[in-house]
Amino acid sequence: MRTYPLWAKLLGYGVFCLVLLAVPLFISDDYLLNKFARYLVFGIVALALSISWGYAGILNLGQAVSFGLGSYCMAMALKLRTIPIQTGAEGLPDFMVWNNVKSLPWFWVPFHSYAFAIAAGVLVPVILAFLLGSFVFRARVTGVYVAIITLALLVVVNLVIIDRQRYTGGFNGLTDLEPLELFGVTFDPYAVATYYLIAISLAVALFLGLAVVHSKTGLVMQAIRADETRVRYFGYDVAAYQTFALCLSAGIAGFAGMLYTLVMAFASPTFLAVPISLSIVIWCAVGGRTSLLGSALGAIVVTGVQGSLSDTPAFLETWTLIMGVLFIVVVLFLPRGLISLIDLVPFGRRTDATPARAARRGRVSVR
Amino acid sequence: MAILEMRDITVEFSGFVAVSGLSLGVQQGELRCLIGPNGAGKTTALDVICGKTRPASGHVMFDGADITQMEEHHIARLGVGRKFQVPSVFRELTVRQNLEVALSRSPGVIGNLFRFSRSSAAEQLDKLAELVGLDEALDAAAGTLAHGQVQWLEIALLVAQDARLILMDEPTAGMTAHETQKTAELFMRLKGRHTLIVVEHDMAFIKEISDVISVMHQGRLLAEGTVPEIEANEQVRAAYLGSGGISGA
Repeated sequence: MRTYPLWAKLLGYGVFCLVLLAVPLFISDDYLLNKFARYLVFGIVALALSISWGYAGILNLGQAVSFGLGSYCMAMALKLRTIPIQTGAEGLPDFMVWNNVKSLPWFWVPFHSYAFAIAAGVLVPVILAFLLGSFVFRARVTGVYVAIITLALLVVVNLVIIDRQRYTGGFNGLTDLEPLELFGVTFDPYAVATYYLIAISLAVALFLGLAVVHSKTGLVMQAIRADETRVRYFGYDVAAYQTFALCLSAGIAGFAGMLYTLVMAFASPTFLAVPISLSIVIWCAVGGRTSLLGSALGAIVVTGVQGSLSDTPAFLETWTLIMGVLFIVVVLFLPRGLISLIDLVPFGRRTDATPARAARRGRVSVR
Repeated sequence: MAILEMRDITVEFSGFVAVSGLSLGVQQGELRCLIGPNGAGKTTALDVICGKTRPASGHVMFDGADITQMEEHHIARLGVGRKFQVPSVFRELTVRQNLEVALSRSPGVIGNLFRFSRSSAAEQLDKLAELVGLDEALDAAAGTLAHGQVQWLEIALLVAQDARLILMDEPTAGMTAHETQKTAELFMRLKGRHTLIVVEHDMAFIKEISDVISVMHQGRLLAEGTVPEIEANEQVRAAYLGSGGISGA
């Protein structure tokens, strides 16, 4: 694996973001644009996992908890906007009426405010991650046990949401939402504005993530991934760094969850179920978990291929098989993911003018 | 004045007494060698100082503070650095990144978010790398270094950390004679500015670098003195029975 200077990475990330922003210029099909927007949301949640898993070495199998909670926060705000239309000015969300709820539960009340809902969509996952991280990492739980605990948390949160149907909509989730209206723009699932909002969010998340992993904090995170114990004897509070990585990842995933509600126009317990949570891990592995761009691309490529295969009648029955083969091939032959294919591109060779430098470059094998 | 004082330290691992009633004082700027037959408790003694192992009884005082029950990273922040027996550098990171991690004067998460590699630090890193002969390999992954180079990188990490007290567990293990010689020179330069405790088996190396040797046997301090004193000590000879005294160890 070659190592790339920061300016080359910035250039690569910049080009990628420009391509994303240019997509609507060439695609006028609303349905297709909506699909692309969905893939980009998955890209955001995958790059969030890349920060905790790829950089800090924390395999979070419950990444979808953050994603789902973010999604519900947005959906609750949008659901409250439907009250005057669906159940009258003094009414309750329709599913609460069907469930015989008499008054709006206290934790629904502040979601009348968009500002609160958007803040909560990020902060609720962050606070949960902070609590989890504080307990788990202070107790020096590591490796596979962290993965098991995060998976257990996912199942618990999922069950609670399904079980509390009166307040959460249960299995059905929160459906029939109003579109988000902010600053005079309506973020309808099929609107170009929604696509731009998501593309810009992905771009911001990419560059924000890049800034973090290139800071000293990002470096210490990578050192922790390599040898947690050794880092401790340099005076770093390892648990604090791990908790930070988990919280940052959760916050970005929560934001992605809110965007997902906008493109889907509903929130469902399947957003924080085991299948999607494990899919996020697969996207990162396929794209390259030690690269933010790689993880995002992994999500976009895998979900894109998945989407077009499952839409093609010929592959209706077999597309999961094809995805399985793709996953196995990448893990076996490209352990650093699809993004490592960029090493095959022979650009930049001419800069190795002197033989000494070329020889040195040959020995170097770091990302 | 004593920068480190271990008072009556006892360590038990589920019934097995690894260290029993060990008391040891080390002066500021001193280079102390800690020797003893296998299983004497040398590594355990270092583990107690850096917080890896908690003693069943006794106290460790560092620069006047009781560090016996402190967490490892707090002890490290006070100025205690540790090199382990098994080389432990960050193999996937470059030599430069390894050194950057070791420059740990500000260890906070949030503060470090706004700290990026700067030229001032780069100069310091170049000097450090030169000190241990790794200036050519700054951008190589630590995992690609030769064994001797890894040992030196570890030493450089401790210097970068700027630890006042450096604990070295077998720093020359697996080194060639030439590499050992270079390491001895390096230690002589560190002595005075840093306080060092070195666990070693290589007597030639010890004779070259040490002021005072402490000999441990079966978890206790057996003897303490200069090289000639220790070589003449009957008890030490008995402890090393069959291996021809410490010179043959």
